[in-house]
Amino acid sequence: MQGRDEGEQPGAMGREALAYADGLYNLARYLTRNESDAEDLVQETYTRAFNAAAQFTPGTNLKAWLFRILRNTFVSHYRRERHNPVTGGLDTVSPSLPAPEDLGRQRDSIELDRLRKAAAEDIERALMGLSEDGRTVILLDLEGLTETETAQVLGCAVGTVKSRLSRARAALRQALADWET
Amino acid sequence: MDCGDVREVLLDYQQGRLASDAHGQVRAHLDGCPSCAHEDRLEHELTLALERRLPQYPAPLAFKRRLGAQWPAEASSAATRRPWPKKWTALAVAAVLVLVLAPLAWQAVLAPPDAGRSAMVTEAVNDHVRLLQSQRPLEIENSGIHQVIPWFSGRLDFAPGVRFAGDADFPLRGGAVGYFLDRKAATLVYGRRLHSVSVFVVKAEGLPWPRRGLERVGRLEVYRTSARGFNVLLWRDGELGYALVSDVAPKDLTLLAEKFARSS
Repeated sequence: MQGRDEGEQPGAMGREALAYADGLYNLARYLTRNESDAEDLVQETYTRAFNAAAQFTPGTNLKAWLFRILRNTFVSHYRRERHNPVTGGLDTVSPSLPAPEDLGRQRDSIELDRLRKAAAEDIERALMGLSEDGRTVILLDLEGLTETETAQVLGCAVGTVKSRLSRARAALRQALADWET
Repeated sequence: MDCGDVREVLLDYQQGRLASDAHGQVRAHLDGCPSCAHEDRLEHELTLALERRLPQYPAPLAFKRRLGAQWPAEASSAATRRPWPKKWTALAVAAVLVLVLAPLAWQAVLAPPDAGRSAMVTEAVNDHVRLLQSQRPLEIENSGIHQVIPWFSGRLDFAPGVRFAGDADFPLRGGAVGYFLDRKAATLVYGRRLHSVSVFVVKAEGLPWPRRGLERVGRLEVYRTSARGFNVLLWRDGELGYALVSDVAPKDLTLLAEKFARSS
């Protein structure tokens, strides 16, 4: 990406794109697990977005488009480069069998209590225990993307997003309930 | 709906994504099923934990400044342009004159009433984006509506007329004074999950507030539209005009407008 003359401001698309830097960086930080790689990933995302700006249709969803570029860049570049194809995660294993009714009720009560008391670091740790796709759907949901937009970002069907989100949330609940807080 | 059906759509239900009849069916099931009601509470608690306590990592300011400096002003760099042959210059001047004068003529003679409304929507979205980008967007952080509203006294020549103090769904984050088109605006920022909703309040006189295509929200008649991925609500209420802008879902924006309607 070329620099611009001092005093010039980014155009309308640039201004809007830059407004999403925090959300993009947050997802990048949770995917790459460190600040330096997160900055590189976001920088690369904006470079690719600028180079492909002609392909973007004004009036459509710039936010979802940027998240898709970030996610594709991560999958095609960062994950491969680090030879770290993390595909497993708490959300990729089958949930444990339901407990008998009495034990189930007791466990539900404990789970509610622990969810209410879960500290920030516990929640972050639980999120980092998910697969990359699990983390991504949770964070995009928090970002307010609809399931349709998330499906565009991930390049999958809306139904797949629904099931990934459901599995990821179930895994988070299980992780938070299982930990002593 | 049985328990299986309800649990499948519980998150949609909580996020207000169900049609009203389906929403009612889930509500009715939850009222009569303790097990699903408990599941509903657990899912709600997980959402609260994620929204309020999961650490957020905003991009460092220096990094954002670098990104801003590197995004070119225009898509086509001056360095890549070739000088035009002189004989084309006259044609270019003529073309520019046509391009400049035609819209003026259009506006003067034939401009649809939508043109002014469109300018208001564009301004509202631009102002919202500026707030998001700004390093220090709020001049007064929220310390309660009774501190925020009086803060505008002496900074504006009108009272913003906002009574909604924020709540758990839309916490008031603070306020600022800005400009909306040709006039000063009171700007209030509310939170919605991880998002911001900007509310611009201005003196309504002289602006082309939409009169057609309005929908009723409480006692208000609002105009709903979207631009560049942001949802926008505009309405006039007596001498004041309001613009709500955010990337939250349209239903969420309606919910906030309802709270305004009830409280003002």
